[in-house]
Amino acid sequence: MGYVRSLRCRECGAEYPPTRLVVCEACFGPLEVAYEFDAVREAFTRDSIARRPGDLWRYRELLPVFDEGAKVDLQPGYTPLRRADNLASELGLRELWVKDDTVNPTSSFKDRPVAVAIAKAREWGLEAVGCASTGNLAAATAAAAAKARLPCYVFTPASLEETKLLLPRIYGATVVPVDGTYDDANRVAILAADRRGWGFVNINLRPYYAEGSKTLLFETWEQLGFELPDVVVTPLGSGLLLTSVDKAIRELKAIGQVNGVSTRLVGTQAAGCAPIVRGFESADGRPRPVKRPDTIAESLAIGDPASGHEAIQIMRRTRGFADAPSDPEIIEAQRLLARTEGVFAEPAGGTTVATLKRALEDGRIDRDERVVLLVTGNGLKAPSVLSASFPPLTPVAPNAAAVDAFLGGIHHG
Amino acid sequence: MVRLVVASPIAVATRGEREIDIEYEGTLGGLFDAVAERYGKEFRQRIFDGEGGLKRFVNVYVDGEDARYLKGLETPVTRDATVDLLPAIAGG
Repeated sequence: MGYVRSLRCRECGAEYPPTRLVVCEACFGPLEVAYEFDAVREAFTRDSIARRPGDLWRYRELLPVFDEGAKVDLQPGYTPLRRADNLASELGLRELWVKDDTVNPTSSFKDRPVAVAIAKAREWGLEAVGCASTGNLAAATAAAAAKARLPCYVFTPASLEETKLLLPRIYGATVVPVDGTYDDANRVAILAADRRGWGFVNINLRPYYAEGSKTLLFETWEQLGFELPDVVVTPLGSGLLLTSVDKAIRELKAIGQVNGVSTRLVGTQAAGCAPIVRGFESADGRPRPVKRPDTIAESLAIGDPASGHEAIQIMRRTRGFADAPSDPEIIEAQRLLARTEGVFAEPAGGTTVATLKRALEDGRIDRDERVVLLVTGNGLKAPSVLSASFPPLTPVAPNAAAVDAFLGGIHHG
Repeated sequence: MVRLVVASPIAVATRGEREIDIEYEGTLGGLFDAVAERYGKEFRQRIFDGEGGLKRFVNVYVDGEDARYLKGLETPVTRDATVDLLPAIAGG
């Protein structure tokens, strides 16, 4: 079993062998993978990591895959951590970094958790895989399933952006376009996976799937010279990415790689679907489910987020906060990131920039803090969101006079 | 007949049975009383929290609608309704 100790309930602490359990049998709470930290501490050293290939498996002792042959070789992870001095200057911040997960194999961070989940599906010899998805996960699961030669079924809202419905089909998956919200698609996906015994990465493989997202933090830590930042701003869909980032930090501390550092975790959603943010703002700390999400940030449009309560607890514990910018703020932030840093993020990435901007203005983030934005998906998957914010282009005649007239008094160099 | 569909992680509360047909018409709370008669207090202990509400990690859908958006345990259940009892797992 490698370095894995057990599956442990995040709610009641009950422990189970690391098998195909989905939730705690006692309280139905979420399960997470627990490790033998003494053994991990011996093998997970900075020198050994530095010698390994540049993909997410370089952190293998803290990933729950036992059979090397089960891994699918699309090489997700080890994406650039870009120093964003132009954006920092624009916003008035001392040190800003963008963790650029737009460059993963299917252009979002979802390739990371899928890599672990598909490996588990292969270890267990499952006949088919799938997921419920707001778009990015569908493409990631379909691509990994193609490489693993497994049939793949993805359940999505039928109303998704066209590119996000097309991509999984190009990878050979069957798309089940559900006439409803993401939560409707998720409900019927749970029933379908249950009835057929298929492995749905974010449903019945979820405890293992979640582990892959930790690598975003491990890489950030390594790329900052084995240091943690003061603040990490992460988009919130289900909340699972933020809980995974927190788990990664806790594990680095448990094996003695990080001492006495407290990183504030900040979560961001679009105002049109902000069940976790509203829960964070409420006295009881419970997410406020949204029946009909209404936002351009489709990848975050989960009305009933499974990990919302935990995400709220973590944001409070780490002295972070939650924020929900509006769609116009998100669009402006996408454009700002693109024109200052050359990174075109989907709206979820725009939410992180928009929240940073708002938080610098009202003091929730200090200008001297070292901040990392998790930019988790590529804007090319959702281009129509931005096309409406530019005036239409009028063709220019192919001659010098027309070009001079078009450029008018613009002089460069 | 009301059809109660219990996802396998929750089926420890119904002795492993995942599709249960039961003669009933009334409210969701009443339906759970009827189910508890069949499966004993084990069902009630596993599905409900200590304050009479459903556990946070259990989602209930009546004919595809989340009961929290309806009337909770007071949601009407018709004689041919389908009620899904699923773990709270949503999103990646």
